[in-house]
Amino acid sequence: MKPLTEGPQKARITLNRNRFWFKAFQQRYLYMMSLPFVIWIFIFSYVPVWGWLTAFQNYKPKDSIFDQKWVGFDNFIELFQDERFYIVLRNTLVMSTMGLIVGFTVPVIFALLINEMKGQLFKRSVQTISYLPHFVSWVVVAGLVYKMLSTDGGAVNQLLMWLNIIDQPIQFMAKGNLFWGIVTVSDLWKEMGWNSIIFLAAMAGIDPELYEASTVDGAGRFRKMWHITLPGIRTTFMVLFILSIGHLIGIGFEKQFLLGNPLVTDYSEVLDLYALKYGIQMSRYSYGTTIGIFNSVVSILLVFIANGIYKRVTKESVI
Amino acid sequence: MKRKMQMALSLMLALVFVFVTACSSSNTEGGKNTTTPETTNATNEQPAEPITIRLATGNNPNWDDMQSDIGKFIKEKTGITIKPEFPVGGSSDDMFALMIASDEYPDLVVPGGSTNKMVDAGALLDLRPLIEEHAPNIKKVYGEYYNRLSYSKDDDAIYTLSLTGVGHTYFDSGSGFQLQHQVLEAAGYPEIKTVKDYEAAIKAYIEKNPTTADGQPNIGLSLNGGEWQILISVTNPAFIATGAPDNGEFFINEDTYEAIMHYQRPEEREYFRWLNHMNDIGLLDPESFIQKYDQYKAKIASGRVLGLIDQQWDYGQAENALKAKGKFSSTYARFPVTLNETYQDHSFHGTGYLPALGIGITKDAQDPVRLIKFLDYLASDEGQVLLNWGIEGKHYNVVDGKRVIPADLLEQKTNDNNTFTKTTGIGNYNLSARYGDGVKDPSGNYYTTTFPEQIQTTYSEEDKKTLAAYGATTYKDLWPSDDAFPERKYGAAWTLQFEASSQENVIFQKAQDIMKKRIPEAILAKPEDFDKVYDAFLKDLEDAGVAKMNAELTKLIKDRVELWSK
Repeated sequence: MKPLTEGPQKARITLNRNRFWFKAFQQRYLYMMSLPFVIWIFIFSYVPVWGWLTAFQNYKPKDSIFDQKWVGFDNFIELFQDERFYIVLRNTLVMSTMGLIVGFTVPVIFALLINEMKGQLFKRSVQTISYLPHFVSWVVVAGLVYKMLSTDGGAVNQLLMWLNIIDQPIQFMAKGNLFWGIVTVSDLWKEMGWNSIIFLAAMAGIDPELYEASTVDGAGRFRKMWHITLPGIRTTFMVLFILSIGHLIGIGFEKQFLLGNPLVTDYSEVLDLYALKYGIQMSRYSYGTTIGIFNSVVSILLVFIANGIYKRVTKESVI
Repeated sequence: MKRKMQMALSLMLALVFVFVTACSSSNTEGGKNTTTPETTNATNEQPAEPITIRLATGNNPNWDDMQSDIGKFIKEKTGITIKPEFPVGGSSDDMFALMIASDEYPDLVVPGGSTNKMVDAGALLDLRPLIEEHAPNIKKVYGEYYNRLSYSKDDDAIYTLSLTGVGHTYFDSGSGFQLQHQVLEAAGYPEIKTVKDYEAAIKAYIEKNPTTADGQPNIGLSLNGGEWQILISVTNPAFIATGAPDNGEFFINEDTYEAIMHYQRPEEREYFRWLNHMNDIGLLDPESFIQKYDQYKAKIASGRVLGLIDQQWDYGQAENALKAKGKFSSTYARFPVTLNETYQDHSFHGTGYLPALGIGITKDAQDPVRLIKFLDYLASDEGQVLLNWGIEGKHYNVVDGKRVIPADLLEQKTNDNNTFTKTTGIGNYNLSARYGDGVKDPSGNYYTTTFPEQIQTTYSEEDKKTLAAYGATTYKDLWPSDDAFPERKYGAAWTLQFEASSQENVIFQKAQDIMKKRIPEAILAKPEDFDKVYDAFLKDLEDAGVAKMNAELTKLIKDRVELWSK
């Protein structure tokens, strides 16, 4: 009996394997087409990772990476002992979380409202106008924000004075506790329209029959929004949301660099700026790499945790 | 299993592929480097084969792209086209740091504060053998100070050629505290010696004229404190006003060479207390520490800022805009203001020749010999006259054996210097060793265009009126004379750098960050809170390990004294 049972199993395995190669052969053009991108990702995302070695060295640019002095975890110890690091970590996380919350709720609401609009021309123009700021560079936006919030004839202060809400111009840019808000609001202004595009597209994909059926059932506008439109964009929303969580710690530094000033550094300095200042600018490449590794590890962890929670709750997974 | 093997194999293959390409590219580079000397010799026989050299330097908004008169002349004469790379944003430190990280350099660099990092990265060539062989003019210009170019006590290589003028005499002062001419005139040219005099003049004027003629509010005193110039406009004046010479961020005891960070001096607390008081009575521009450089310049150019505490090179562009508009009464006079009568302004405390900001040739330079010859040409008598005066018959004429700038050009040079620089190129090509103001060439003329008689011709009528009221011919006359203080044996501490990526550098950076936060905080605090903030500032400095850095600098100063007195 034994040979009999073993035979077909083996055959099935070889068959499976053969089927894989057969399929691969059938899809050889698809493989060939994707190959350049695989190579591209490999070269630009995986090959540079060996540079992580420098985090465990006292890296000096003039020698090759193999002739460096190895220092073990010294750079990590120094990083975790620097109190400045915790301040910038706090700033990074607070600003990105604020950005995440506001940057998702407002565009969704905005997309919902636009979706309900009837006149095509009006709808289109509102949409276009709202996403145009996305193409304005942060340098210009920072200039605008500074000018608007200036005590020296800035529009916001003048408006508030005119409304008699305040009688002395407020130094918005000099107040650390306002900085996070200013960054979040200016980011919202810049990206709201752009971020809502993808939600609008998802809404356009919802089957109109669902709406018709609910009209028959007597659902009003808000019922339809709540029961059809929002569930309809849920997957899109979650994918974007979880991917953004991966970027929580790497929010870049443009905004903070351009809007910040010495008076508010305790609130404006973010991890990337810290890495620039205490890493690259002082040619401490090892230290900069250490911060980079910390960033990457935390980002990956965050994505998996967020995905895990989502999986638990909805029994679906995005990654 | 087999699939995994295949995966691993293909991965390894890809890796090998990457390494092979990486290695082969560096091989070709190496090959190129070894062949260059031969081609060099060949090109030297038939002069001036056109080449383009890349130069990384600090920002120059008036760069003419070799299209100015001098630019064209140099291109024709030497065959060299300079293609500069300017930093994006404020300081050039990032630019050089990135260069080091990528290990790719332009031909020429002016690394300034990043020199030690460049040397540490092995990016700069030792120029000593090149100079000995190919550059007699450069050597002649530095003369007795040639050895001051040595890098350090342990390394006598010359990595950069200092661009500061040799034998320089100051005929004018660009520093001090500035007041608009109209403010002085309205007050009847009072004595401006202490911060109290300065404050009183601003106060009296702004009470009578809260707005300018076109209705904008006047600003008493604005500081350029939002960007790196916080050093120039806020903290450096603290030691200038309390009788210490410029040693960068440090104060050096002239007898023991003991170094401390200059804010640690009790005298300077009183200076910042005065700024705090200026803020309290509303004379200080509340945006002083948040404004960007552009905003600051725009304010000055509108003529609303009555007083500045800055350097002429920093506010000069904005002042030029005022001159171009003909608003001469809103331009500035400069005074050596001190905290009280017991102090003297040490701006001109002598240092001997100070090799500072220098130009270096990098290891990636295509043709170092040609570059040093180019720099040597610029350092020659002919080259220096060209760079400073321009082309004979076009930018100056020789009248009775003396070089004279035609009236129309002089007018443009004084009142619209930005255009002047762009079209003539004068001032844009100072890339080599050169003589300072007050040194005469063999024909008996000065090398530079700044000399006593010349300075007065650059003053506007307003300047002359103000100076006449104080019985002076130049602003410099208001300062203590050059020989009022004994020469500093160590030069100036700001020319010393800690070793790159050393602990001291980190402490220094931390101390700078603390200062940039705490000093504005102290100045903008309520007067009763000032001491609390300042004490916290000093404590933060202590906690950052400043004592260790001070000790290291003390050692560097002592080494320098030893090296230079050889």
